[in-house]
Amino acid sequence: MTGPEQKPPQRRWMSPDFLSELFSNPLDPGYADAAARRAKSGPPTGWRRTTRRTAAVLVAGLIGLLFAVAYRQTMADEPRRSQARADLVSQIKARQETTDNLRGQADRLRDEVARERDAALGTNHAAQQRETEAATGLRRVTGDGLVVRLTDAADAAEDGGEHELGRIFDRDLQLVTNALWAAGAEAIAVNDQRLTATSTIRKAGGAILVDFRPVTSPYEIRVIGPGNLEDRFDDSAAAALMRRVADVEHIGFDTHREDDLNLPAATEPTLNYATRPAPPSATPTPGSTSSSSPSGGG
Amino acid sequence: MIPVLALVVGVVLGLVFGPTVPGWLEPYLPIAVVAALDAVFGGIRAKLDGIFDDQQFVISFISNVLVAALIVYLGDQLGVGGQLSTGVVVVLGVRIFGNVAAIRRHLFRA
Repeated sequence: MTGPEQKPPQRRWMSPDFLSELFSNPLDPGYADAAARRAKSGPPTGWRRTTRRTAAVLVAGLIGLLFAVAYRQTMADEPRRSQARADLVSQIKARQETTDNLRGQADRLRDEVARERDAALGTNHAAQQRETEAATGLRRVTGDGLVVRLTDAADAAEDGGEHELGRIFDRDLQLVTNALWAAGAEAIAVNDQRLTATSTIRKAGGAILVDFRPVTSPYEIRVIGPGNLEDRFDDSAAAALMRRVADVEHIGFDTHREDDLNLPAATEPTLNYATRPAPPSATPTPGSTSSSSPSGGG
Repeated sequence: MIPVLALVVGVVLGLVFGPTVPGWLEPYLPIAVVAALDAVFGGIRAKLDGIFDDQQFVISFISNVLVAALIVYLGDQLGVGGQLSTGVVVVLGVRIFGNVAAIRRHLFRA
């Protein structure tokens, strides 16, 4: 390694700007070195040359093999990925079906329990129980009433978009349902989720949850109530607000009377029992004990 | 010319016989491909420069693959496998780009 080709090898690695060196001179310096060596001592001959040529050819073949194998591997992975996705989708569908079946079964059993209970209770008690259950949303009810449809504006953007005001918010649903209760509604269901005294309508992420079940646009609020329900609701502040929002942001807002509405029962609520709180373990001030015991003694 | 033919033969053999890669080798396959690409483009450029050398080609391929695999292996052991793989791909990618630019200058004089 002498002569004109000689480079100080440490310049390459000790250079403070290794990256720009890398960019400006991407070729292995080895080729240049080999060329210089060859120029000095002449090309290799005989068996040495043959071996090297054979090795290079073998390596070239190996590289081609590598490319092909990598290609096949990638292609083989692709259906596996989409397969996994399809599997998940079908699993979700199957689980949903199971849930629906179980729900139907639960409804049937609930009806059976109600029948047995009615038979066991006297007619009077049974009627009273039915009334209470219907009022609290634990029994399916049928009747005439009102359907309120709320839909997102057609050009409503997803969360944080420019036209977010075109979306129906959880508080819109709260406002409308509260106005309906105030107008004399006896039973309300939002997208077939029956509302009870403890129902919640709130937002989680981009979705609106009614009693922790997601509901999506169009929101159909079906209400059973007295004949003047529609007029009273139309006069309410909530209806006025929704009409205004419909004008400005082009959400869909529409009420119409409908007969023979059939509202499902709400899911059985978890009952909370009142318990007596534990007696306060510590006395508020140290002075109170000393003052109370003498008075008890005297 | 013969190495190019050998490359094509290798591709055809791989596609026809489709050897399966053992599981422990799978993480190294993409890195090996990038290293091989670097060796191939380096070789083509050297050929066009008129300084191609069989021995240099063999050594550059083998050492590229070995060093790249070693770095990936070390990264896996240290828990930074992804980042080190990215580093290897970036460095080799830069070299490939540079070599391809040189090849382009040779072929099109532009």
